[in-house]
Amino acid sequence: MRAAEERKGVVPAARRRDQFPVGMRVLAVDDDPVCLKVLETLLLRCQYHVTTTNQAAIALKMLRENRDMFDLVISDVHMPDMDGFKLLELVGLEMDLPVIMLSVNGETKTVLKGITHGACDYLLKPVRIEELRNIWQHVIRRKFSTRDRANLDFYEECNKPPNADSDHVHGHVTCGSPDQSGRPSKKRKEYCSEEEDEGEVNTQDIDDPSAPKKPRKYRLYLKRLSAVASQQVSIVAALGGRDPFLHMGGFEGLQGYQAFTSSAALSSFTPHGLLNSPRNNPAALGTQGVPASKSIQTMSGSHTLNHSINDANKYHLSLPGNQKGNLGQGLATSLGQTQMQQKWIHEETDDLSTILSGNGLSNGMSGTLQSVTSSPLLPQELAECTQAKIVSQPSIRTSSVSSEHIEGAVGVSSGLLESRVSQQSTIPLSGFSTNGLLIHGSFNNTCANKLGGTSSSCAPARSSNDLMVARDTKGGASSFGGAMLLPPDTEQKYLNFGGGNGLKQKFDDRTADSLFDPKFVWSSVPSSQLASNIGAHHAMSQRWNNSSSNSSNIGARMIGQATSSGSTVIPQMKTDFLVSGDMSMPKNASDLSIPCSFDGLLNSIVKVEKDDVTFSDDLGCGDFYSLGACI
Amino acid sequence: MSLERIVSRVTSNQSRKLAGIAKYRGYLDEQFCQVEDLQDEASPNFVEEVVTLFFKDSGRLMSNIEQALEKYPRDFNRWDTYMQQLKGSCSSIGASRMKNECMSFRDSCGQGNVEGCMRSFQKVKREHAVLRQKLESYFQLLRQAGPAGAATRPVM
Repeated sequence: MRAAEERKGVVPAARRRDQFPVGMRVLAVDDDPVCLKVLETLLLRCQYHVTTTNQAAIALKMLRENRDMFDLVISDVHMPDMDGFKLLELVGLEMDLPVIMLSVNGETKTVLKGITHGACDYLLKPVRIEELRNIWQHVIRRKFSTRDRANLDFYEECNKPPNADSDHVHGHVTCGSPDQSGRPSKKRKEYCSEEEDEGEVNTQDIDDPSAPKKPRKYRLYLKRLSAVASQQVSIVAALGGRDPFLHMGGFEGLQGYQAFTSSAALSSFTPHGLLNSPRNNPAALGTQGVPASKSIQTMSGSHTLNHSINDANKYHLSLPGNQKGNLGQGLATSLGQTQMQQKWIHEETDDLSTILSGNGLSNGMSGTLQSVTSSPLLPQELAECTQAKIVSQPSIRTSSVSSEHIEGAVGVSSGLLESRVSQQSTIPLSGFSTNGLLIHGSFNNTCANKLGGTSSSCAPARSSNDLMVARDTKGGASSFGGAMLLPPDTEQKYLNFGGGNGLKQKFDDRTADSLFDPKFVWSSVPSSQLASNIGAHHAMSQRWNNSSSNSSNIGARMIGQATSSGSTVIPQMKTDFLVSGDMSMPKNASDLSIPCSFDGLLNSIVKVEKDDVTFSDDLGCGDFYSLGACI
Repeated sequence: MSLERIVSRVTSNQSRKLAGIAKYRGYLDEQFCQVEDLQDEASPNFVEEVVTLFFKDSGRLMSNIEQALEKYPRDFNRWDTYMQQLKGSCSSIGASRMKNECMSFRDSCGQGNVEGCMRSFQKVKREHAVLRQKLESYFQLLRQAGPAGAATRPVM
């Protein structure tokens, strides 16, 4: 019913406002009628309100007539009547609307051009629905950052007695932020509530000797809130479309987890250093190892969050809502202290379980968390321990839980605790954040062989259903910053598969074989790679291409895309590794008598030509798949 | 169960196989599955509409390219621009083999290789024709399967 209504474009304004992002008004511009039609239907499927045109001139006219008619613009780059970048510039200047670029061309320089012209994201064709499900975050982020800037100015003006300040800011935040469009007022209220919490934090921070830092911290905090909040929302949305703000709790436990994983990756950055980084530079944060957009968000969020936590342990206590959200998001970039994180993990485990129980995946989280807490080690050690824990976890837990653990465990085993945890917590259904994508890359290099090696031993008990599941979950994987790792990806498939008890056994085997690789170079790889590759989408990809690991290709693409798009890249997580017939093969295996062995699938996958631009049909994809399949 | 239902189920299986075969061999990729997924009660002929639109639009684009190859010799930029459009269409529908040929055409353009462009373009045309054949059979099977078959369309 509603779909039909949406299709007709009849969306009551009230309903739209209450259920944002449902009903978000998108203007789609593309001269390619096939792409436009598919894009329109995808957007409608996401329950957005869609207007399409194949001419940039018409789009501009519509926008000029009434800027408030739309929340977001998606535009192709190559159009005959007007260059997409030109349209992007004009829309950004005149209407200050978020614009997402769309193109077949994923070359670094083109993507970079999009970013420098002000695109808030850059998607590669063919666009996947999972990517479109998250585009609403750009609307929120733009509003939030504008409000943030306004609040910040006000805050700095009134920055006198610390006590007064927090109240001042608090008051200002809740009441004074200009609402640009008068639209999602609900969102604003919720953000305000988060800021109220922040006020509390500031109060506590007043006693902190670093009180003079408060303005900056507050600014960063606001920034983080917006990133975290939007990420939380997206996460919750991915979790099942429930009100994002209701489920912010429960992720907190992951925060500590993040600290483990990200601390290694971010070893080059001190907490203060992170805080001092340009606050409006999510891309910079992203370079620290969180390529995907989601990751970037979490990075900004988690950086500040962890830092605050370090400063004021009470932070998480006072901000239950935010913390949980941050936790999930901050997975990518935890800077916190091990002990503190452990404590959080313990404290929040139950919450996490509760929060995530709805998805049926939360148990995995708890288990993971427990494994994390029980091994308060350095990141590398932690990775190893986690893996060890993973192995032991299944035995400890019931079978239903262990399958879920696998998800988390897999994440851990990949050496990216944070990514795994974040993935599990934040995207139980959909997948894994891009946290530590680089790490994953390196991890994959080291472990890929192991995984591959065990693949043969893992009898592909996966039926065609698995593949189908994988396909279904592909969106999930990419929905959040697409830091796809083989293990998480495969987990994902299994996750959606409804628990996949069978996985447990496989996982045990696999973990026994491969999870204890101590050579997780994840700590050094991401930061150096990322740092040097801001926007160097292509370079990253090439590096990954050159690496032997198959999975890294996918990761590479994600990294590249993440960094290239700067702020919040919607992960171009193409689960295309399942592509080119692989997906369908197992499904039809019984019908077509196609060998369902990994080798057979791999061979067929390998047939896919390499796409030097989008990597969608990479060899790596195929290998990725097979690697994942072995789980 | 009536004979009709059995037949329709068999033919829908056939179309599933056909789709599977086409996909297995790489003619269509995962994106096509996405397009299929978008078909629902609200838009029951979505896939066929998109495919029809694709062949119409790609025919136009390909004749543009053909003309450009003749009229603007060695104008690689122009050729590349046209081919990029065609590539975009292919990727939107999941026509992976055709898309790959488009990419190799663009590679040849990048290298300034006229011969390579010509060869690639012939391949693009061939893949286009093959794909059209396959999809036509696909839809035929779907139609033969009847309403029951359509309801259980070959979902990947």
